[in-house]
Amino acid sequence: MRASVVVTGLGVISPIGIGVSEFWKAALAGRSGVSAITSFDPFPMDGYRSKVAGQILDFSAERHIDSVQADRVDRYAQFALVAAKEALADSGILMAKENPHRVGVIVGAGMGGMVMGEREITQLYQHSRPHRVHPNFIPVITLNSASGIVAMAHGAKGPNFTISTACSSSAHALGQAMHCIREGRADVVITVGADASITPLVFAGFCSLRALSTKYNDRPEQASRPFDRLRDGFVMGEGAGALILESAAHAKKRKARIYAEVAGYAATSEAYHMVIPREDGEEVATTMRLALADAGATPAQIDYINAHATSTSIGDAVEAKAIRQVFKSRADKIAISATKSLVGHTLGAAGAIGGIASVLAIHTGQIHPTANYDDPDPSCALAGISRSAQERKVRAALLNAFGFGSNNAAVVLARHAA
Amino acid sequence: MSDREMLEKIVQALAEYLKRDAASIKAAHHLRDDLGLDSMAVIELLYKIEETFNLQIPDQDLPGLTTVGAVAGYVQKRLAPAPPARAPKSKQSPSQSKKKK
Repeated sequence: MRASVVVTGLGVISPIGIGVSEFWKAALAGRSGVSAITSFDPFPMDGYRSKVAGQILDFSAERHIDSVQADRVDRYAQFALVAAKEALADSGILMAKENPHRVGVIVGAGMGGMVMGEREITQLYQHSRPHRVHPNFIPVITLNSASGIVAMAHGAKGPNFTISTACSSSAHALGQAMHCIREGRADVVITVGADASITPLVFAGFCSLRALSTKYNDRPEQASRPFDRLRDGFVMGEGAGALILESAAHAKKRKARIYAEVAGYAATSEAYHMVIPREDGEEVATTMRLALADAGATPAQIDYINAHATSTSIGDAVEAKAIRQVFKSRADKIAISATKSLVGHTLGAAGAIGGIASVLAIHTGQIHPTANYDDPDPSCALAGISRSAQERKVRAALLNAFGFGSNNAAVVLARHAA
Repeated sequence: MSDREMLEKIVQALAEYLKRDAASIKAAHHLRDDLGLDSMAVIELLYKIEETFNLQIPDQDLPGLTTVGAVAGYVQKRLAPAPPARAPKSKQSPSQSKKKK
């Protein structure tokens, strides 16, 4: 029999709060964490079409984590360390009591160490001094720097991976962590999603792709508006989310508090286009169906969907269409919310942060609002999307995440039957 | 800059890097055995020194740079002749790296 997998710890760092309690309070209030980017020191924002982002302002790594560790890694990995530390403490796991080879780390990251990456590349090309490239450049930009440093911070010697599938990275990290435990390869997996690449080059790249919101530069908190008629692109965000996944048997043995069960997961590729989803929604629908099947759940059991919903014109409409295909008449009875309306699109962290919102919906019976859903777009209106917080018993939740490179993920989280 | 001032500068850089009190760092301290710098940390320290003193430290000079005093003496010596030292054109050994990959 396959092992049942549960969530026993949560940690988050986001534009609306550092720490789960601060995050959740702000989320339920529907507070936007999107603000104006004042400058990419030392040059101004004049040339950027979009000038807003979900930024974590005044972040000081040393306030949260060991400074020697923090110094050796980029901002996204510092975020991963902060979130993982909180989640592990929240779970009550004491590493000294664990078999370290049974504790793994799986991190989802889309962009990785771009702060140092951009700085070093710029300096090399400007000054042509190869000997001045920082000795830590390679370890920092190598995409598994976060999974490495999290393992080092906690002495976790089990499987250690990084999943990089752009915007769905940490939804896949959750799914792969679930598999890792199901298959008996680990008792515990510290599962993290992290990205921090609101950097001059990456931001310019997303601008050039015409993917970002540009009409709300003077009203940043209104820029991320999934499913709304006046949405005009996504808003970049940054942050990290961490979830401690654990076999139910292991959690029960140590009498841990169980938030929810990770019941099912599906991964697919649309094999279609680098950045555009198939407009008929078929592949997204298939992904959701496969995740439900993996969980042994029916559409009737899903009470909440944490939508991918980035606030792009096509993406939100395709997702809504796919939800209708899968859930039929029930589609309007399911509570739906878009975490990106609050924190922006945190790329590799999005699945983990949405996962935390889903777990908390199951655990607390509260569903956070979708900010700026002022004028429902008929092409993606679903009755369960709300501008205000909803109270509802959630038996099972579906987490959607789709990424560049034509990939999709869906994760089913459920109330754990003791 | 006197030898003493140079030593103080190196000690200061180390204190900042290691986040410890400068007074606890002595010239005789071995970078690895006494101060706990691993090989990567030594490389980072030398990178910082190269920047501070506008130097390039060739690979073949690394083996001698094992104590705080040795580093200070080395930098002092390199700074002595004018014009500013340049890295020798000579063959730098292709790699002395012991890193895994």
